[in-house]
Amino acid sequence: MDKIQQEVDHLYKNCFGKMVASLLRFSKEIDFETAEDIVQDTFSAALASWKSDSIPTNPSGWIYAVCKNKALNKIKAGKKLAPLAFHERPFQPDYDFTETPFDDQQLAMLFACAHPDLAPKVQVVITLKYVMNFKVEAIAKILAMSIDGVDKILVRARQKIRDERILLVVPNLSKVKDRISIVNKIIYLIFNEGHKSSWGKEILREELCEEALLMCKALFDCKIGNKETAALYALMLFNAARLKARFDLSGALLDLEQQDRKLWNQDLIDLGCYYMQESRSNVISSYHYESSIAYLHCAAKDFSSTDWETITKLYYKLIQLNPNPFVELNYAIALYYAGRVEPAMHLLNYLQQQSFLSNYYLLNATLGKIHLSLGNFKEAKEFLLKTLQQTSFQVEKDFIQKMLDTIDD
Amino acid sequence: MEKFLLLVRQDLTMLRRITEDQHHELIGEMQRWVESLGESNNYLGGEPLTNAGKYVTRDQVLSDGPFIEAKEAISGYILISAENLDQAASIAQTCPVVMRNEMVLEVRPILEMRNMKVDG
Repeated sequence: MDKIQQEVDHLYKNCFGKMVASLLRFSKEIDFETAEDIVQDTFSAALASWKSDSIPTNPSGWIYAVCKNKALNKIKAGKKLAPLAFHERPFQPDYDFTETPFDDQQLAMLFACAHPDLAPKVQVVITLKYVMNFKVEAIAKILAMSIDGVDKILVRARQKIRDERILLVVPNLSKVKDRISIVNKIIYLIFNEGHKSSWGKEILREELCEEALLMCKALFDCKIGNKETAALYALMLFNAARLKARFDLSGALLDLEQQDRKLWNQDLIDLGCYYMQESRSNVISSYHYESSIAYLHCAAKDFSSTDWETITKLYYKLIQLNPNPFVELNYAIALYYAGRVEPAMHLLNYLQQQSFLSNYYLLNATLGKIHLSLGNFKEAKEFLLKTLQQTSFQVEKDFIQKMLDTIDD
Repeated sequence: MEKFLLLVRQDLTMLRRITEDQHHELIGEMQRWVESLGESNNYLGGEPLTNAGKYVTRDQVLSDGPFIEAKEAISGYILISAENLDQAASIAQTCPVVMRNEMVLEVRPILEMRNMKVDG
């Protein structure tokens, strides 16, 4: 990629959402779509102008100045210009965007994305777009959606946000409090996406985990984060600590049992412990249970000394709080490792009877693995073969194939 | 959180026409979507329905029912939890098959009986 394209992409990634937010604050005359058009237009102009000329000494300053002019042209009548100094921050010389990965405008956008009428998936999509500045193509890739699908979601979300535009102007404290749990949920889902999709070994996805951690930290820096946020932060830190150990040197997937625990990042685990302390509260959220489970895994010096008994109890509590077959699957696994094979199998068979779950690759993989360790090779093979058809990730296929190879016919 | 029933409405004649592979793909697509509902803690349960059925009125039992040739009959249900009807509808809209216009989801709030006062 040539230098100019790179520079434009870099600016786009760092500034798109901020610029849209700035424009919306800049004037009441500008609505969401117009703001996006203006910013998009500015970047096209930058690309064209810099290619025929050269990159200006202060690229971000250039971008903001052109954007402002375009906005002014758009609202020529110029009635209601807010007294806000649109240029203040961006015009600082040599402004380094990486120094402030998160600012007030992004935070305002984050809370705007947390609209209670939007589906969690929609909230994630618009957060990726407007807070993290991902392009539509990138979002589609990360969330395994079609570009068209992402576009449709964005169009509908924009309509909602337009109605709630006030939030983009001043994140008023009472609204912020109302929406903090939705913001927590968005961050959780973004982290999950980065965490589970690291199958593909895509840098972009690990980046998702980092972004989620940054957002959480920003909430504490602004003193908006609550006890739930602290529990969520701890949960993500514990999981992030183990990220690197999930693959062996050849890139093959390793399960918890096989991971080299020395590779777990102790600094992150310690920080997680700190936030777990911070999260102490009378009101216990699902993040509290999940972070406690993650902590117990991190605290065990090897797989066999894992406190499965407590983990089982925590999963049980989690199910009481959020009845959900996907959590029940984890509960069954914990029961199995806690030595309660019969109830574990009972629950797994029950889940297997549920139409949607019976085609769920993780359920079949679990059943395969458990039957394998119980010596029921015929059943193991059946479930593992089923799993093989249900996952599209090569690393997962290899992982399942390895288990299948251990079965003699 | 409130409960909502999503009634899956599809063109049954179309469903009968598609190949096994296409059917598999459709199921996989729904599967991934349901999985994402599970992650966000919105999924409670659900099942597909087979095409066979009976239609009962006071005077007669129509063994096939009128839905066999129906352009838009119920082919399954999904139970979810959501903050409100708007969110439930928004969740339904994210279904990839709905986005492609090959399926309609009817979103109905479930009436919580325990909140109701029974007379007498």
